[in-house]
Amino acid sequence: MNNKILETKNITKSFGTLKALDNVSFNLFEGKIHGLLGENGAGKSSLMNVLSGLYQPEKGSIYIKKQKYKISNPDHASRLGIGMVHQEFRLIESFSIKDNLTLSRSNIHKDDFMTAFKKYSEIFALNLSENETVSNLSVGEKQKVEIMKIIFNNSNIMLLDEPTAVLTPQETIQLKNSLETLATEDTKTIVLITHKLKEIREFTEIVSVMKNGKMVSQDLLTQKVSDNELINLMMGNVKKSQINKDNTIGDVKLDVINVSFKDPVNNIKKLSNVDLQIKSGEILGLAGVSGNGQVELANIISGIERTFEGKIIINDNDISNKGVKSRKKLNLSYIPENRLGVGLAPGVSVIDNSIVRDYFQTKLGPHLSKNRSAKYLENLINQFSIKAPNPKAEISTLSGGNMQKLLMGRELVGNPDVIIAAQPTRGLDVNAVEGIHNLLIDQRNRGSAIFLISEDLDELFKLCHRLLVIYEGKVIKSFTTTDSNISSVGLAMAGINE
Amino acid sequence: MNKYTLSKRQAVNELSTFYSFIAGFLIALIIGSIILLAQDKNPIDTFSLMFRLSIGSVNSLSSSLNKATPLILAGLGIAIINTVKLWNIGAEGQIFMGAIGVNFLYINLSLSNSTIFIILLLLSAFLGGAFCILIPALVKVLFGVNEIITTLLTNYIVIGLTIYLVNGPWKDPDSLNFPAAAYVGKEVYLPNIFGKLSYGFLICILFTALAHYLKNKSVFGYEMRIAGGSEMTAVYAGINAKQKAFLAMLIGGGFAGLAGGVELLSQTHRVSTGISQGFGYTAIIIAAITGMRPIGIFLVGTLFGALSIGGSVIQTIGVSTYIADIIQASTLFGALIIQFFFNYKLLKVDDD
Repeated sequence: MNNKILETKNITKSFGTLKALDNVSFNLFEGKIHGLLGENGAGKSSLMNVLSGLYQPEKGSIYIKKQKYKISNPDHASRLGIGMVHQEFRLIESFSIKDNLTLSRSNIHKDDFMTAFKKYSEIFALNLSENETVSNLSVGEKQKVEIMKIIFNNSNIMLLDEPTAVLTPQETIQLKNSLETLATEDTKTIVLITHKLKEIREFTEIVSVMKNGKMVSQDLLTQKVSDNELINLMMGNVKKSQINKDNTIGDVKLDVINVSFKDPVNNIKKLSNVDLQIKSGEILGLAGVSGNGQVELANIISGIERTFEGKIIINDNDISNKGVKSRKKLNLSYIPENRLGVGLAPGVSVIDNSIVRDYFQTKLGPHLSKNRSAKYLENLINQFSIKAPNPKAEISTLSGGNMQKLLMGRELVGNPDVIIAAQPTRGLDVNAVEGIHNLLIDQRNRGSAIFLISEDLDELFKLCHRLLVIYEGKVIKSFTTTDSNISSVGLAMAGINE
Repeated sequence: MNKYTLSKRQAVNELSTFYSFIAGFLIALIIGSIILLAQDKNPIDTFSLMFRLSIGSVNSLSSSLNKATPLILAGLGIAIINTVKLWNIGAEGQIFMGAIGVNFLYINLSLSNSTIFIILLLLSAFLGGAFCILIPALVKVLFGVNEIITTLLTNYIVIGLTIYLVNGPWKDPDSLNFPAAAYVGKEVYLPNIFGKLSYGFLICILFTALAHYLKNKSVFGYEMRIAGGSEMTAVYAGINAKQKAFLAMLIGGGFAGLAGGVELLSQTHRVSTGISQGFGYTAIIIAAITGMRPIGIFLVGTLFGALSIGGSVIQTIGVSTYIADIIQASTLFGALIIQFFFNYKLLKVDDD
């Protein structure tokens, strides 16, 4: 490990108050495949964007082969031999493979295109003519062209952002073999960004781990580090508070009966015959990989999506045909997954955002008195210890944790009977997560029926009495959290129903 | 070598728009002075003459306020529509359509009670402005067609319609071939409060208060703000975002239409292509400078009215009236530049 090709020292990059990268140092060694591991939002992509010239750090320096550089834009990065494959491909769909590969002026295979194309087609097992139009290619094939493109642009350092996310298992194995060949035969230096342990194990020799914008451990030899160590580095030391689940359970508050839903735009079935009941004092979890119908189900229960089949009953009232406001009046609260954009309106003040749930109720209206709104916000700030010094400032001046506290507070202050909480702790730090969990437990103890939609199995096991697993729009399995283990739920989430 | 980058400020001073306007106005006066000096005119003399002739006497002040009235009303129309974060570039056309609305009702209806008749005529002006923006509003909410383009294009259609009307069906045979409709009767003239100051200015004050209430104090204004911030948040909150955008556009168009109606009934007394001298475009400048605040629009609109009057009278000493236009436009540029530095700060990027 002495052939250090790239080194960064103390890189810091902030977005507003958020430090996306905090004093990050990172090494790359020539001809090796590196893993960069971390949860969503740990700073992996930000670091790669700095290396590929998309972001300019406020502090820190980058050395390539011991020489200091300031990478001012992606073109500059490309001239320095750094190429990045983004999750969304940067290909011109209507152009041929050849045109896409030779488009850049950094292209080094002008004269020997066919030789190079044949060589790399073999490495990537790409059986296509160079004249094939890119729009006809499968996702896996497009990715191969995308990686070839950065090779043609003379990149020796290849940054791959979650490359396996779009691939089938077979394609993933194929990619692994191709990358190994590139590293050994072409001495390419490769970085694989991922949050999947399995891929770190299978693909990489050296691994670095990021958490909350910091590099928590670097240059570990993959073979010498255990899964548990990596998990601990990646997740940090989360204190597992044991939560009492023997609270009183009451009557059914929310009844979802046989709900099916087709996306009106493309007519694709998103939900099939979903049935569930939540009682007062109960937390029901919905586990599943994102995109299996969770958002649609939450939108149907909260009244945003009205074109479904089936019935929604709150407190014995059939509200299947009612809108958002009448459901709110039956004391339903919805904490949507998309905090800024759905739950909160960007560009609008803190105070305006704080009354989104209740503005139409008489306690604030009918003329929307400024005083009453201000008092309403003040109460939220005190009760939920939100840091929001200037009520007239735009909502986006708050930190992520405070935005979520404001959103939660707004939805919980009226002591709702039914709460739908979708990914309520995503992207928050440990303390904020603990605070949000306590809020939900308080509401549970008070007698609320809570529907917790999450990808985080630890969270679901910690808080829920029961768990449903959703897969491709169907509830395929149900668990009681006290007598199930995480791995069987994990299997069900992957669609494996034993 | 040091590099600089722009960073958005966390908290923006609440009075920043006001400071930016003052700074912008000073910048505009400096630019105006340079141009005057280049023409061998003394800027201080010129500006003090403009000042005296625009607000130095009751008569000139009245003229300035009358001039400001359509600017303010049209500016309010732009500000209301901007509550849902949409831009109304069509105030000019809406002003013409408001005047056409007045004349249309006037030739089709006669009432002996002139107060009621005037109110109905003004209502017709409001509806004319709203009608003018109806198609842009419909295609916006139905198909998402960019309102900046559609409202701009309706200006040309409406001005074309005006030219047709005053040369064709509404052409006044007594106008000695001047393309204009016949004058409306004296009984529907908006009377003066005192001196030359028209009741139109009172209407303008009332509608400023109304716009302020609508935008900042009403539930409807709140719903417009949320819908403007994020359509998804609006839907989540149970607000029909498209309906709010549609209504905001019609109401804003109505305000600009009213500007045309007031202008006709108080100043021109007939439909011609001279109903508006670019009021709808100046109103965009006023609305933008004030950050779309109704009371700010009232104040800046008043100043711009005075500038126009001042600009038109300095011709007598051989200075072009366009000096007023230059000051208005430079105020916007200056204010926008200063506002930029209220919103962003320069950060030095360290080398290591």
